[in-house]
Amino acid sequence: MSYSDKVIDHYNNPRNVGSMDKGSSEVGTGLVGAPECGDVMKLQIKVNPQTSIIEDAKFKTFGCGSAIASSSLATEWVKGKTVEEALAIKNTEIVKELSLPPVKIHCSVLAEDAIRAAIHDWKKKQETAKPVAVAAQ
Amino acid sequence: MHMNDQFDTGMVVLANSGPTSACWSCGEMRAAHFCTSCGKVQPPAPADHFSFFGLPRKLDLDVARLERDFYELSRKLHPDLHGVTDTREQEWSLEQTSKLNDAYRTLKDPIGRTRYLLSLEGVELEEQSKAATEKARSTGQMKQQVVPPDLLEDVFELNMQLEELRVQKKMGEDDPALLEEIGKQKLALEAKQDVLLSELKGYWEEWDSAAEIDDSGRTRVRDKMVDLLNRRNYIRNLVRDVNKVLEM
Repeated sequence: MSYSDKVIDHYNNPRNVGSMDKGSSEVGTGLVGAPECGDVMKLQIKVNPQTSIIEDAKFKTFGCGSAIASSSLATEWVKGKTVEEALAIKNTEIVKELSLPPVKIHCSVLAEDAIRAAIHDWKKKQETAKPVAVAAQ
Repeated sequence: MHMNDQFDTGMVVLANSGPTSACWSCGEMRAAHFCTSCGKVQPPAPADHFSFFGLPRKLDLDVARLERDFYELSRKLHPDLHGVTDTREQEWSLEQTSKLNDAYRTLKDPIGRTRYLLSLEGVELEEQSKAATEKARSTGQMKQQVVPPDLLEDVFELNMQLEELRVQKKMGEDDPALLEEIGKQKLALEAKQDVLLSELKGYWEEWDSAAEIDDSGRTRVRDKMVDLLNRRNYIRNLVRDVNKVLEM
């Protein structure tokens, strides 16, 4: 199997590798894994609470080239989107963009899961953070 | 359909359905793999690994007996013993032997056996994951991850440490504290693997009896076993990665 040029590009120059403060109320963290291959993917988003726009995204993935490329692409795509727009990203779009072969589709599924999990985490924080913020004032 | 009408009868008989058809050579009633009367190897029947050994589809099987049957069949089906005068029999002997090896290798391993049985039940792990993602997308709900969050945290942390160790090793350094920490985690993971295996075995009996009872019990036990296999698979891959770095 050979990787597409786009996968190789993301693999060699991954965008947005790194991490953000997990404890921040503006940061959502998604940690997901694929048991088939043992990959683990962490994707974080920083969301503006007023506009719900994802202002920054970081990832760290341990896995194959396709998993790294899928998560790298995912961080590029979510940046500048609102959380609702980001929730509409489908794994099939990642497959298409990166020309992933059938055996690597689970990497794109993982990336979609990671986006979803990060947004879910952020939303949960918004629900619970508000009363705490009021109490802290 | 087949090369010769004379051989048709032998092709469709399942291995566990007993001696219901005639041997292609002597016409006597035949056993699954070879004729009990004249000893000729029979054309392989379409059979899954369980029925190849004449076993019911059960997980809690007698491994000692399986081994005995394997060695006995290996001897009896050995290509060197057959087809001296008949090239078809030589081919069947090869095919039967290769099926025998596949079936034995899969069934003797507790994980391989469970995985194989679940695949016979139509469980495809990757398909399940994809379906769960699609469901999460359409309902807006959080996807139920097959790997529990605490295990994922551990896996992520250990991977971070492995990355550090890899960099150190490339630069010719060794941090004894890091090595010790990773070594400790590796032992813990191996212990976890053993625990998961015995948990899995705990469900075998339930599955074997549930197979005859009802669908909901079956589904519940099946899902439990899938979950355990997924977790164990994850840990196995991780241990493999740890070993790779340690051997650098």
